[in-house]
Amino acid sequence: MRRGVAAALAAIAACVMFAPALDAYLKLGTTINGRVLSLHWTQLPIRYFVTDRSVAEVTSQQLQQTIATAFSTWAAVPGVSLSSQFAGFTQVGPLDNNNLTVLGFENRPQLDRVLGSTSFTVDVITGDIVESDIFFNSAFAWSAAAGGETGRFDIGSIALHEIGHLHGMGHSALGETQLIAGGRRVIAKEAVMFPIAFAAGTVADRTLRADDIAGIEDIYGTSAFRQSSGSIGGHVTKNGSGVQGAHVIAFNPKTGKLVAGFTLSADGAFTIAALDPGFYVVRVEPLDDADVTSFFPGSFNVDLSFQPAFYDKVVVVPRGGTASGVELKVVPK
Amino acid sequence: MARPGASVSCYTAPMRRVILAVLAIVAFTHPLHATVIVPLEFRELVAAAPIIVHGRVVDVRAGWVDGRRRVETVVTLRAEDYLKGRLDDEELTFKVPGGQIGRYRTVMIGAPDFAAGDEVVLFLNSAGADRYVFGLSLGVFRVVLDEPSGRRLVIPPPVMAKLAGDAEAVVRGDPARRPLPLDAFEQTVRRVIAERGAR
Repeated sequence: MRRGVAAALAAIAACVMFAPALDAYLKLGTTINGRVLSLHWTQLPIRYFVTDRSVAEVTSQQLQQTIATAFSTWAAVPGVSLSSQFAGFTQVGPLDNNNLTVLGFENRPQLDRVLGSTSFTVDVITGDIVESDIFFNSAFAWSAAAGGETGRFDIGSIALHEIGHLHGMGHSALGETQLIAGGRRVIAKEAVMFPIAFAAGTVADRTLRADDIAGIEDIYGTSAFRQSSGSIGGHVTKNGSGVQGAHVIAFNPKTGKLVAGFTLSADGAFTIAALDPGFYVVRVEPLDDADVTSFFPGSFNVDLSFQPAFYDKVVVVPRGGTASGVELKVVPK
Repeated sequence: MARPGASVSCYTAPMRRVILAVLAIVAFTHPLHATVIVPLEFRELVAAAPIIVHGRVVDVRAGWVDGRRRVETVVTLRAEDYLKGRLDDEELTFKVPGGQIGRYRTVMIGAPDFAAGDEVVLFLNSAGADRYVFGLSLGVFRVVLDEPSGRRLVIPPPVMAKLAGDAEAVVRGDPARRPLPLDAFEQTVRRVIAERGAR
């Protein structure tokens, strides 16, 4: 048994290519002249305004402090270079197109079930992003209390999620839900960037998880960070053809960390970057329990009809390199 | 840089410092989609949406609203079948946040994107005279052609609880949950409506 594991490790190690991985995680992007471009703040600090609008239980000052804390939480991730600056309160609403980055409350009852959202305005000629705004839907009951409040959604948790988007991060699928008669609820998350909120009153999403940290490091990681971290690359195939939109998860048994990505091309290729060097178990699963529109554009053809599978070897992620050649073969449901 | 509805003075040197720029062409990047939502079970969605319609998008048109303060896109759908809340018109319109006017594209993350020719089953809500997709993107089910079988499948598959019994975890990869053929999806919607009507 032990000899078999050693042989597997040797086989994986032989596949390793010592080149830093640049592409991984689900990032936000936009199509310019037929090319998909990722979004990235190149000028720091990120300068933002806060709408001077309070709601019951959360004043605009509390909102501003919460937002500042959320920006700081992302910026405090080791190995990233990020900063932000509060530019002042404004009477401008967060959904207005005005070339300013504005965060604040806005009452949008017609956006059923939407607690908050991030928007961008992009110059489609140059690819520049003209503004990025975040609105928190004041149609819901909010709280900024340290321990949360029964029946109210935690503004700190939602701000942390949305500011992740503002930094260019997409959604993570590392979460689990449960059905109860007449409803659905989140029972576990391994990412603040999971798109479905915990029940009102919970403050668990004020803390970044390994998947969030890997995502922000993948976008804003310093060169020193890239030299100290590694990645996993490979393909997911079904009957010899690539599987698009498959959710691939890397689990580090030593640390317990979960980091995931998706196959985002027709050949089923994936990369999971910003990983601690070490041993990983890799699993693939279909995103068949989710609102796929919140992960991918409408034109993206997601394959939901395959059975989950594990890679049959332990994957060794090298420092500063990629464990490539991780080929996951799945079978139809 | 001046845009319709925007003050030129807003976009000066300090503003340029905070402009997001595109760094690299990255194949592993996907267009803007994200938000945070309150979870919803399929029966709740059927009950909450006053209009459920299957049809095909025939027109997508962006425009300014609220005195040129924001951009919304009006989508025109040619209805093939109303599953709930029948309207008189063969074509109906609904709005989604964002859209492109000239060289500027505004995207509210999590809002669905549509193109002429898209075949969809939509769960719609209304606010005043305007109709919106329920739950931003929760009410969008797309009809796609499954080439191996030649069937038209609806994605994503509905996630439904049992009518009675204990709580059940939603297991990803559950063999029983797969995209339904269009006719089976429509039957499911009608069955849920009938169940609610019977109670």
